[in-house]
Amino acid sequence: MNDQRPGMFVPALIGGAVAGILSGIPFVNCLCCLWIIGGGMLSAYLLIKDSPMPLSAGDGAIVGIFTGIIAAVMEFIISIPFKAVTDKFMRNMIDRFSEYYEEMPRGLESWFQEGALETSFLWAIIGLIISVVIFSALGALGGIIGISLFGKKPAQKGQGSVDVHKDTGDRQP
Amino acid sequence: MAPKNVIVIIYLLTLTGIIIWLGIIFLAPYLASESSPLAGFIYALFSPTCHQIPSRCFFVFGHPLAVCARCLGIYAGFLAGTLIYPFLKGFFSPSLPRIKNFILISIPILLDTAANLFGLWKSSEWLRFLIGLIWGVILPFYFLAGFSDYFIRRHKISLEIHHKK
Repeated sequence: MNDQRPGMFVPALIGGAVAGILSGIPFVNCLCCLWIIGGGMLSAYLLIKDSPMPLSAGDGAIVGIFTGIIAAVMEFIISIPFKAVTDKFMRNMIDRFSEYYEEMPRGLESWFQEGALETSFLWAIIGLIISVVIFSALGALGGIIGISLFGKKPAQKGQGSVDVHKDTGDRQP
Repeated sequence: MAPKNVIVIIYLLTLTGIIIWLGIIFLAPYLASESSPLAGFIYALFSPTCHQIPSRCFFVFGHPLAVCARCLGIYAGFLAGTLIYPFLKGFFSPSLPRIKNFILISIPILLDTAANLFGLWKSSEWLRFLIGLIWGVILPFYFLAGFSDYFIRRHKISLEIHHKK
């Protein structure tokens, strides 16, 4: 049964690349973690499209984890050339902020002057490892949501696929 | 390990993870107020998942939180959803929320994000937080059900292989 499942690598690569690139570009990254969740959903959609059989929420979680890993690496690479732009933008923001507010929050200016966003190479690598974990969790979330939204319903029960069913709605959040 | 135990472990790990996650978000401004170099690392850690624009962040200890108000709302909502999950779903019957519920709960965040992006209106930090909170509540119902399903399926497959042998 397992051999009928489509490969997860290509959907995860596409979803991860899209999410990672969009998360790494300044201004476009204003949607925060939603890009990673969206990337997971895209991967799940691509996986479903290539699958002859219904997929489970667990499949969505796995393809989402792979998506998150690829997105974290992609975001890390993409953000390097944009770092100067991002720092300039943040410093411009503080200038704008001071125009609108008479009293600046205490320590905000010194926060920028101390270079709060600057990190060493070692810290950057540690940050990347932690990012991989965070992005994986967000990607998994997106993958599961994607399976829920785009997934095919199982034709027959007991064929080794879906155990997580759509709720009948009697106990919903 | 029995699937029931695995599901409880997944739940506890998720709950612990989100509490630590929220704790670190509040730790960043505290460390910044103490001029700790670790503050910069924590802010940088959150930068891939949040724009961290100061005017859209809450300020604590005189410094912005590590994420914007909307992200904080999503994470706080995730914690709230995780806490109520066992009472609404029970631990051992993982099922995904209905699509209709997900779409309904996603409408406010989609509308507000799009409107702010295109300059139709400017939401306050508290509104952003509230909208994020509403959306965040439903997320653990996917996260926990998805991972529970994965481990239940793995357990069933390993049992099938065992019986065939």
